[in-house]
Amino acid sequence: MWRFFWPQESESPKPPSFRRDRLALLVALVAAASTFAAFFLSKGTHFLMPGPLTSAHASIENCSSCHSKSGGGKLSWIHGLVAGDPIADSKACMTCHKMPATAFFPHDASPDVLIASTKRLTKIAATTPEPLSARAQNAAFPAHDVVSRGLTCATCHQAHQGTNFNLSKISNEQCRSCHVMKFDSFDGNHPQFENYPFDRRTRIIYDHASHFDKHFPEVAKKEKAKRIPEACSTCHDSQKDRRIMSVAPFEKTCSGCHLDQITGKERATGPKGIAFLALPGLDLQTLKKRNAAIGEWPDASEAELTPFMKVMISRNEKGRALIKTVDRLNLQDLTNATDVQIAAVKDLIWEIKRLLYALISGKASDVLGDLNIGNGGKKLSASLVADLTASIPRDVIISAQQQWLHNLAREITGGPVTTDPQPIANNHEQSNASTTAAEEPSAPDAPQPPAEKEVPSEKASGPKYDPPACLMRVLGQCLMSAGQEKKAENADPAKSNEGKANRSAGSLPEPMRAGLQDARPAGSSQAGSEKATNQSDDLLHPTDEELREMKSRSRDGTRAPQSREVLSQPDNASAPQTTTAPVNGIESNVDPESWAEYGGWYRQDYAIFYRPVGHKDKFIYSWLSLTGPEAPKGDRSPATAVFDFLTNKNAQGACTKCHSVDDIQGKGRAVNFSPPSTDTKLGRFTNFIHEPHFGVTQNRGCLTCHSLGKNRTYLKSYEQGNPHAFTSNFGAVSKDLCQTCHATNKVRQDCLTCHKYHVNGVITPIMNTKIQMP
Amino acid sequence: MGNNDEWLWRSAVKWLARRPTNGPMGAHAPGSTRAISGQIITAMLIAAISGCLFWLVEIYAQGLRDPRYLDGWLLAGGMGLQLLFHVATKSGRLSPKSCMRWRTFHIFVGYLLVAAFLSHSNFSLPKSGFGWALWAGFAIVTLSGLFGTYLAWSLKTKGRVDERIGYDRIPSRIAELAQDVKAVVAMPDPPADAIALPAAPYDAWIIDLYTNHLKDFFEGPRNTSSHLVASQHPLKRLIDEINHLAPYVDAQGQEKLSRIWNLVTEKDRLDFARVHFGLTRAWLFVHVPVTYGLLVLSVLHVLVVYSYSSGTL
Repeated sequence: MWRFFWPQESESPKPPSFRRDRLALLVALVAAASTFAAFFLSKGTHFLMPGPLTSAHASIENCSSCHSKSGGGKLSWIHGLVAGDPIADSKACMTCHKMPATAFFPHDASPDVLIASTKRLTKIAATTPEPLSARAQNAAFPAHDVVSRGLTCATCHQAHQGTNFNLSKISNEQCRSCHVMKFDSFDGNHPQFENYPFDRRTRIIYDHASHFDKHFPEVAKKEKAKRIPEACSTCHDSQKDRRIMSVAPFEKTCSGCHLDQITGKERATGPKGIAFLALPGLDLQTLKKRNAAIGEWPDASEAELTPFMKVMISRNEKGRALIKTVDRLNLQDLTNATDVQIAAVKDLIWEIKRLLYALISGKASDVLGDLNIGNGGKKLSASLVADLTASIPRDVIISAQQQWLHNLAREITGGPVTTDPQPIANNHEQSNASTTAAEEPSAPDAPQPPAEKEVPSEKASGPKYDPPACLMRVLGQCLMSAGQEKKAENADPAKSNEGKANRSAGSLPEPMRAGLQDARPAGSSQAGSEKATNQSDDLLHPTDEELREMKSRSRDGTRAPQSREVLSQPDNASAPQTTTAPVNGIESNVDPESWAEYGGWYRQDYAIFYRPVGHKDKFIYSWLSLTGPEAPKGDRSPATAVFDFLTNKNAQGACTKCHSVDDIQGKGRAVNFSPPSTDTKLGRFTNFIHEPHFGVTQNRGCLTCHSLGKNRTYLKSYEQGNPHAFTSNFGAVSKDLCQTCHATNKVRQDCLTCHKYHVNGVITPIMNTKIQMP
Repeated sequence: MGNNDEWLWRSAVKWLARRPTNGPMGAHAPGSTRAISGQIITAMLIAAISGCLFWLVEIYAQGLRDPRYLDGWLLAGGMGLQLLFHVATKSGRLSPKSCMRWRTFHIFVGYLLVAAFLSHSNFSLPKSGFGWALWAGFAIVTLSGLFGTYLAWSLKTKGRVDERIGYDRIPSRIAELAQDVKAVVAMPDPPADAIALPAAPYDAWIIDLYTNHLKDFFEGPRNTSSHLVASQHPLKRLIDEINHLAPYVDAQGQEKLSRIWNLVTEKDRLDFARVHFGLTRAWLFVHVPVTYGLLVLSVLHVLVVYSYSSGTL
């Protein structure tokens, strides 16, 4: 064989090809040697590069940055000959270009989307003639072979083609090769648009037709000072985000007419605030009859258990079961309730008390932090808790507790404050029940002292309270210092209940100790009342009832102790304890709800209300965002109760008057607070930019493409939760309209003019620069 | 004049009589018409196959594949076929007829490979040193091949080379012609010798012709540069000299001039054959060695391409 290439010298005359063959072999050797010499003398493996990288990648010097198998050595590129993961190099691309997990599917779309799209287009393709070239291409080199292996980046993006090479270039025919719908050009057999550009209803419920035809003229007639939009551009703008015709902020558009609906000023009926915490009205007589030891409870309350409290109580398994049981009951009429239901009501009462106790004794985050909704069991963040409570001051709750549940601290630590467990003498069962009630604190189903977490020890809770120690704090004012407490104890040490309470109070958190001191001599209360006039927390404005009580306290300094005596009387075991320490001596004829017209917390009757502060109210937003995913329509969970409460037609804040609510398949519901953005456009195959088209709209402006339809059932689509079942205010844009310009020999009409390949976008993140630590 | 006209007429008939078989393409002979048709068909076939190749590559690319793999392997396959021809000729087992067929096929595939190469290089110049080496190698092989093809065509169409004469026999044949022409010129006039008359003056003229023009011409290879460009001016000049002398000599002298005329054209064809046979050998000294070099580079190219392929095919 070797002799074939290198003929042997011989004596006989040499054939003419002898020298030529030797020269050929020499040239081959020289070529190989020169190539290897050039390779080994060049930097790295750059000699093997087929061409310069495009400018965006020009700074990449190591071949192994992209060619995963090439390695760093001179000859390690040979490893690339060994078969490996065909998409390994494409994964290297994603070091810099972040893409979703579906990156190697066509269009980065999920298989579900692709299947649905293919099914839809297959029907259209059946009636569309297929170009001959497409048919030939599909027969000779079907693209599905390539796609089934996973589309690598290099399928379309060919590097090493020179500095100025356009890496994103892709031909119409390449696009066509995958698609079932094969056509020659846009002005040819491109399918007609299907309700373009609408693929869902608008997130903001804004009926253009009724505003143009009815509301704007009416406002213009009634209130001439109000600014009525003159043109589409008053509200819409495409400058900031080229793909989105964004809507100007609320403050510049809707607020003129709709702000008062949010703050409740225009509200004719019902409370203007949202009841957050309340003592629900109970059928106390029935409860008493059924010997339910609920301790003190106001009989005048007609409030309902708020959905927020349901959520807070349901934060553990026991609470959830409890809410489930009482949810179907009318708490104000328990005559037909079963024993189990009565027991549940009793437990509920104690849960409410414990909740109030916990909100006072600990931080709100201790109660709300482990709500266990919408966060996969993780604790809620401090900022979210702050939003969920609208940073409610603790003093608001303390003042409410003092008004409503005067003996809460004693009850939590020592059981129901009642001497009521009077057995009915001739009824054995009732006698047993009363015994049980008397022993409530130690019974298995009796209210247990707060868990260690909820009642922190002095040591544990020490850092939580601001110095100096204030033993009695009412409405934000320290009514009694530590020294005063001792005096109070000395002044009235004989009362056994009180003594017990005071002993227990030693282990209570400071605010609760303050609650226990409420029954001090009138003089002390008076002093406190005088101090209270200097209170700085305006939100704690007393109600009329409070003012009346304060006045009566002023007149009769011994009333407070009497009040406690009343508690100890059997007949008043479940009587409302609304007496309180005097808080404010200033007369006001402004009711709390009106006082809070700019939003915030106020207390009225047996509920603490929150009044929205305006647009983008964090309280409502956070509750809706938190509960929405856990609140499928028709569900009876506490989260759903909150969501329904805040999204019903008459809900305070009226968020869902404009912000539509979407059903999320398998994930509850969501209020569309966020305006459309490029993120919301993710997954869409079309890529329309308004700006370049403004020049061709002429006099009709936006109406050139968007014809406003009259008598459309636009609003009706919002009565259900599917955002894709809708009727638009505007007519769809037709293909023919686009085709007037985008046609052969006119405006470009290649696929990438209107469509984009990476429908979910490609993000190039900032470099991961590690901070140097000493 | 009558003699002169007769001589010219005979010369013309002789000359034209040879043209049909070896004449240029423009000659109106049935054979040349077939040749033209065959060449047109071949050219059209090459163009059609090249067009199909480009179209195939195009639809391959449209099918989301890297077309460089397709035209690259077609190119490699074609180069393999060309190499087989080289192997076959070297084996020495081919009959002259088979060899001619192989060569025709070799040229045909060569044209197609130009199309494949243009496609493989994406109709652009290379962007790297290694690419340039490959490109230059292929370009040299192709150009040398085209040159060889031109030579083959040129020899065939001009018909001035008797392919039965080997390159190595040309010098001896030239020497024989030199002897022949010398003998013709020196040949005595028998009637003049018989009556012992002074030699006719036109004998001296023929000797002058030999001394001034023919002697040098027959001494060795001449007019190489003219033959490289297929120019017949030197031959025409000599023929003119002979023709100018012809009217002034007697019949015997005309007979001598006629034989000299034949020897001159024979010598010219030998000179032409020597130049073209030399070129035919010379271009292969470029074509074959560079092909070997290109082969080595191509193998490296394939290895590198597959090492750095990023999942595309």
